Amino acid sequence: MSEHLLQVENLRTEFPTRDGVVGAVDGVSFYLDPGETLGIVGESGSGKSITVLSIMGLVQRPGRIAGGRVLYKGNDLVQFSQEQLQEVRGKDLAMIFQDPMTSLNPVYRSGWQVGEPLRLHRGLDRPRSLREAVSMFRKVGMPEPEQRVQSYPHELSGGMRQRAMIAMGLTTGPSVLIADEPTTALDVTIQAQILELLKKVNAEYNTATILITHNLGVVAGMCERVMVMYAGRVVEEGPTEDVFANPSHPYTWSLLRSLPRLDRDAKEPLRALPGLPPDLTDLPSGCHFHPRCPFRIDRCVDEYPPLAAVLPAQRAACWVTQAGVDLNRAGAIVG
Amino acid sequence: MLWKYALRRIIVALPVLLGVTVITYGLIYLTAGDLVPGLQLNPNLRPEDIARIKANLGLDQPFLVQYLNWLGVPWLLHQVGLWPGAVRTGLLQGDFGRSLLDGSPVMSHILERLPYTLELTSLAILVGVIVAIPMGVVGALRRGSPADHFLTSLSVVGVSIPNFWLALLLVLIFSVGAFQLGLPHLPSGGAASSVNGGDVLDRLAHLVLPTTVLAFGYLAVWSRYTRSSMLESLSQDYVRTARAKGMSERRVVYVHTLRNAVIPLVTLIGLELPTLVAGGAVVEIVFSWPGLGRLALERAVGHDYTTVMGLTLFTAVLVIAGNLLADVLYAVLDPRIRYT
Repeated sequence: MSEHLLQVENLRTEFPTRDGVVGAVDGVSFYLDPGETLGIVGESGSGKSITVLSIMGLVQRPGRIAGGRVLYKGNDLVQFSQEQLQEVRGKDLAMIFQDPMTSLNPVYRSGWQVGEPLRLHRGLDRPRSLREAVSMFRKVGMPEPEQRVQSYPHELSGGMRQRAMIAMGLTTGPSVLIADEPTTALDVTIQAQILELLKKVNAEYNTATILITHNLGVVAGMCERVMVMYAGRVVEEGPTEDVFANPSHPYTWSLLRSLPRLDRDAKEPLRALPGLPPDLTDLPSGCHFHPRCPFRIDRCVDEYPPLAAVLPAQRAACWVTQAGVDLNRAGAIVG
Repeated sequence: MLWKYALRRIIVALPVLLGVTVITYGLIYLTAGDLVPGLQLNPNLRPEDIARIKANLGLDQPFLVQYLNWLGVPWLLHQVGLWPGAVRTGLLQGDFGRSLLDGSPVMSHILERLPYTLELTSLAILVGVIVAIPMGVVGALRRGSPADHFLTSLSVVGVSIPNFWLALLLVLIFSVGAFQLGLPHLPSGGAASSVNGGDVLDRLAHLVLPTTVLAFGYLAVWSRYTRSSMLESLSQDYVRTARAKGMSERRVVYVHTLRNAVIPLVTLIGLELPTLVAGGAVVEIVFSWPGLGRLALERAVGHDYTTVMGLTLFTAVLVIAGNLLADVLYAVLDPRIRYT
């Protein structure tokens, strides 16, 4: 097996609840190579965020990683102590969060916060870390960087805050940048700017990026590969173009079909995916998606399908497509 | 910015203070009647003597004139020639009047007792803060643990026990009991020993029990507050960001969480500042502490209405000053607060 930069194997993260233990992440495996951008999509509660928090070792009690490995440059982060993880976090693996409004500490100046990883991991003193913060601000396109490092987060706009978050993640030159819905809290024009910035950063620093989003358009524009999650599991994974052209899991297929498209007849109605995401404490038998699946066969109710190759570069956990059914063609009949 | 804000706050406080003077004087006027109790009971005083005394004190005047006299408005008018006759200075000139009991200035009584009260209550607040914050932090970090349950119980006990009872209990144990057992014991009252006492160590020994009682009351409330405030802070996104930066949990807690958690606590403590005077009264009485609280009680019992009014007003000024201080501190701690 070739060495990947980051390789997640059979990761399982559990949360005890009143109704029993919930596997928020249930046997997820994937890899990330240097410089590539991987998109993770799925509904709220599908385990996207918990997956990346598990990688960072940031799952808070009572949640815990119950199994699997997270290999970063060959070392298993799951086995790392908190002290060892602190060495890696913010230095090799950086993370930026959804809401830049609440993700920055309100009582410290932005420059102080952006320079903090450098003081923690590179031993820089405050004046030097501040100068670095200014130059990072310049790189992420922050207007008036010298003044902005002196600003408190509430004095910055939403877009500027997210730029500050990105600057903060990149100061130490991490090899993996995890962006958990980085544009969800921003308005549309700013979203585009931030995505441009992430793309630029990815190209310039050769930082491998994991982009979590529920916006398929973002995935199409940003990611080389995409991974679709449903109820804590990966249901489909492959190169973005292939997955979008030939969705091999009914869930992916339904998601894509629910999107408005410019090249489709404007009169054709959008198809919403019927039903609700499953309750993790009471998962359906067999394939977790079967109650909402228009292609369901008997086997789906009894057995969970493995994630297996459907097309040369594409894997999906679906009995139907693994049997050779083309969803695009079959979908026309199912309606 | 800051001084402008403070100045504005002081100006806004002036009408409040005026209101306090009206209420204070009005209440005393209503309850105390002629302000000179017992004169009629003195067999050596003829009615004309009593009338003369009242006239001397200005008590033969209507309420409004009496009140304005107390404020010192006639004195001001007299200076510009608008008020005939001899007048005395009043509150506006910083004159709180004279004690009805001993004729000495009310202010001198207050200033004499103030240091003792400040000494006791500021120490109690300091101890309260120093103990309450770590208690709250531990409770929040180990929520649901035996330590948390213990601290919670301690707080409940602290809130529930009346402080006079705790004071008596401590005196019983550490003064009386220890003395009877021949152990080193703590003084049960006063601010210093009258016999070969008065050095630092002796004064500290006198402070231990009253400080403990007062601080226990404070920290019971403040530790709960710190705990819930910490829990709220800990669940904030910026704490997750801090962890993602790869710092020690210590730094996450003390640099990124606590700073945010203590901001509401500052207001709470600021509101507690007036008890620098009043709140400690019961404790001062139990421990014979020569502070303002005991002065207030003594003078109220002794019908020394001018002193009582002076103390009331003085407390009101402290309340306002305490609020102002809390607001300023709040703004210093939280950059989001604007001085407007």
